[in-house]
Amino acid sequence: MQPETAATEPAETPEPPKHSRRAVIAAVAGFGALAVATTVFGGSLLNPPATTEDGDYSGETLQFLIPLAEGGGTDTWARFIGTELTGVIPGHPGFAPVNEAGGEGITGSNHFASSARPDGTEVLVSTASTVVPWVLGRSVVNYSFEDLQPFVVNGTGGVIYARTGAGVSGLEDLTDRERPLKFGGISATGLDITTLVAFDLLGADIESTFGFEGRGPVNLALQRGEIDIDYQTTSAYESAVAGLEKDDQAVVLMSFGQLDENGNIVRDPNFPDVPTVAEAYEILHGSKPAGEKFEAYKTLLGLTYTYQKGLWVPEETPEKAVELLRTSSEKLGADPGFQAKAGKVLGGYPLVADEGLDERVEEAYTVSPAVRTYIVDLLKSKYDIEVE
Amino acid sequence: MLDSAMAALASLADPSLLLMLLIGVVAGLVMGLIPGLGGTGAVAILLPITFGMEPPQALALLIGALAVVHTSDTVSAVLLGAPGSASASVTMLDGYSMAKKGQAARALSLAFLSSMAGGIIGAVGLTLAIPLARPLVLSFASPELFMLTVLGVALAAVLSRGNIIKGVTAGLLGLLLGMVGTSPTTAEERFTFGSLFLGDGLSLVAVALGIFGLAEIASRASQRRGQQDNVTLGGGWFSGIREWLAHWTQVIRGALIGIWAGVLPGVGATAGTWLAYGQAVATAKDKRNFGKGDPRGIVGPESANNSVEAGDLIPTLLFGIPGGVPSAMLLGMLLTYGIQPGPSIISDHLDLMYLIVWSFAIASVLGALFCFLSVRGLAKLTKVPFAVLAAGLVAIMLLGAFQEGGQIGDLWVMLILGAFGWLLKSTGVPRAPFLIGFVLAIPLERYYFLTDSLYNGIEWMARPGVLVFLAILVLPILWSLYKWIRARRKVNADDGHRDEQPEDIESPLKNSAWSLGLAVLIVVVFGAALVTSGTFSPEARLVPQLVSITGLIISGILLSQEIADRLKTRHSKIGWTADTGFAFRTFTWMLGFLAITAVSGYMIGVLLFVPAFLLIVARARMKTTLIYSAVLYLFLLALPSLLPIELPQGLVSNFI
Repeated sequence: MQPETAATEPAETPEPPKHSRRAVIAAVAGFGALAVATTVFGGSLLNPPATTEDGDYSGETLQFLIPLAEGGGTDTWARFIGTELTGVIPGHPGFAPVNEAGGEGITGSNHFASSARPDGTEVLVSTASTVVPWVLGRSVVNYSFEDLQPFVVNGTGGVIYARTGAGVSGLEDLTDRERPLKFGGISATGLDITTLVAFDLLGADIESTFGFEGRGPVNLALQRGEIDIDYQTTSAYESAVAGLEKDDQAVVLMSFGQLDENGNIVRDPNFPDVPTVAEAYEILHGSKPAGEKFEAYKTLLGLTYTYQKGLWVPEETPEKAVELLRTSSEKLGADPGFQAKAGKVLGGYPLVADEGLDERVEEAYTVSPAVRTYIVDLLKSKYDIEVE
Repeated sequence: MLDSAMAALASLADPSLLLMLLIGVVAGLVMGLIPGLGGTGAVAILLPITFGMEPPQALALLIGALAVVHTSDTVSAVLLGAPGSASASVTMLDGYSMAKKGQAARALSLAFLSSMAGGIIGAVGLTLAIPLARPLVLSFASPELFMLTVLGVALAAVLSRGNIIKGVTAGLLGLLLGMVGTSPTTAEERFTFGSLFLGDGLSLVAVALGIFGLAEIASRASQRRGQQDNVTLGGGWFSGIREWLAHWTQVIRGALIGIWAGVLPGVGATAGTWLAYGQAVATAKDKRNFGKGDPRGIVGPESANNSVEAGDLIPTLLFGIPGGVPSAMLLGMLLTYGIQPGPSIISDHLDLMYLIVWSFAIASVLGALFCFLSVRGLAKLTKVPFAVLAAGLVAIMLLGAFQEGGQIGDLWVMLILGAFGWLLKSTGVPRAPFLIGFVLAIPLERYYFLTDSLYNGIEWMARPGVLVFLAILVLPILWSLYKWIRARRKVNADDGHRDEQPEDIESPLKNSAWSLGLAVLIVVVFGAALVTSGTFSPEARLVPQLVSITGLIISGILLSQEIADRLKTRHSKIGWTADTGFAFRTFTWMLGFLAITAVSGYMIGVLLFVPAFLLIVARARMKTTLIYSAVLYLFLLALPSLLPIELPQGLVSNFI
């Protein structure tokens, strides 16, 4: 094998002798027994059954299952909220974020749905990338947000902007174009879907290219002139769009808007001067939007923006535990100290954990068959994507 | 500007900041030592501690760790042939060969000094790049990024040492393996056979640790005696420094390539380090020693993998686009302090920028110093019989590979690729191109697709950046083709002596039934991939088909070479050797370990595997075995509460 070493090895060190069979069996069996004992008893010793219904989480550990990789937006959000929330919950439980990245969030969410303990100590973090495949009804999704209970949600918003160099100076440049605008996307079956439905609703003249690594690279591609139109969420607006807008390299066309309590689209508080997609429709077509495209847009807006990120527990979790988590979140969201600290992480949108939360989220997370069919058809006819 | 820089330096004199930096450095070094954890692990463990700290303290802590992870991950690569991270597998090529010659201390000294220089140059680069970053990033559009990935794959030929056909075959196989998972362009699943686990693609850590680490263990676990010769070459540290200084140009070149690769989003540390190695080989006059312990093969990449981290901070801070998981976590931390990354960070938080720069530079020096001082101690590790080390190493590598995705499936992938890596190594197929292909598969396809759909026809070929890359690519190919043809004529003249070539020591199964079998296997794999890719949509099918067809042609040539060789020698003198048997037994041991882990959990797996392997295979003394296993047990017991580490749970745990 190795002549260099073999040659220099003195001949007097012989191969070590074999051990007797009995000695081997004894040693291995001893360690084996130790390991079995640790595995069987260690688990239950370290994790006694949770008592979360007594209004007190002391001695418990709140485990967040983050179905995406460390370091992403959702991960940052979840770790930040988790750390702050455990400081507010009575009894100050420990906080254990667990990242189970895989299948764009589907693997971890499936795992949660099948094995989470319904005792109020295991929490699922949801975000657009786990919600969209559920909406589309992909066969690999084994979880359903109908079988989970939310106790806090947090929204985000965003703007659609275009490159002035491509001859866009306002909304009217979106339609009747000589050459369609190039839109840069990551994947049509992710958060991009809301923007695609907005384009379809507006009748914008757009040609889409997918395959970018993330929204940051899309923004760079726009600056290089490789693509013409893009969208960015509120938290990225400052770093990605504001500068371009100031230098007249780009123009902000519209915001996605927000859903209010009654399910109507209203202006985004972070972009009070920017028209929403619904207003843009009115400006372009002279009438209020209606019909299946508009219903689909409203549904997607709620799912992927207004109620984008949420914390969920299994449906069978005791009422008292869920209530404690919700009221603690509500208290946290109302704390001015937290609001000051949370500014950038929450992207300027409040934590929502009021009493009516459950009902509103349930409504937002109800996707009508017509909307689902429209989205699936749009993907197939326009983007040649078959939802399996 | 200078004022802020000096103010930031002065602030580092604050003992609490220095302490944080020191803690960060120590944590980074420790995490680098454990194969598979690296920067992600280091930042993940430190991040919760930073909540509640002031931004400067928190930054010093994280940057301290980030700056040195790639300093210490070299240790296991050089000493044990098990890369601490995917990018350390580059240093391994020459570092490990040098260590096997009894010059572990020399290899480590060179590596640590280069890491330090890479870190410092990276920090300087970070400072200088601030005004240049925007034009630099914007000038690299999709066509340039595509050409860069092509250049990376072309390194396969450079790194193939002798048999270009074998190198290119390995590179294409790597590309094919990298395409397992979700297509970057159409989001459809390819080669996953309906498995959600495969849908994410294979874990880089599992692939790198398998193809290099486990393969190495299998071929060396038969060594029950330690390395007796203790040639440390020369008289201590000063000679190490002197030798290193002789290669200063390589250090600088490596560091610059590293910064550049770090700045460009989508290239990544592993590919950047390979590019540095590739340029060292490509520009060297005498290439014969590369892969056999050439100091230039250590210095360049080692300097690059530290400066990559500094380069990576540029897009992270200036554009909010992180190049890797550790910098993404750093970005998240900044957000929790209300610090918004973006072009305005220079005007709003210049003091923090300089704090980062200084922390990076100081941490690099400290980290390298700690490592440098412990070189002699570390080098003694080679005196321990390899078989004894192997037991713990297998346990730790499996644990490390598990951390990335928390899936047992990654461990099976690692084991299968371990066996495949051993086969490649033994039959003389270079494994470096395989890993490069794997790393670059997705970026290559992504940027090809983007280039093709965003530009009309082949107008992108006329872009000045693309022309430069084309020149870099084509000229050496023409040159080496010319040289190859000339060399080929010479080889033909004395064809009969080919079997006596010295490389055969490293690859004992070359030109045997084994290599013939491997060639057949590869042809079948490419054929199957070609058939399977026919079922994908036209966009998703393009690149896999291209790779499969090229693969079929190249591996077809390889197969015909093998057959010709078989016909010539008639009866193969190499069949089932003692080493082969040993490798098979070692893999069976690992298989058993993994099977027990999958069924009853990692803890039981380790405590059965380690003592049994030590007593039966390594024939270690009873006392050694008991202490070894007991220490490992306590370590594993304490680990989950000390570090963000999870032990794999078995199937049975669902029923308890």
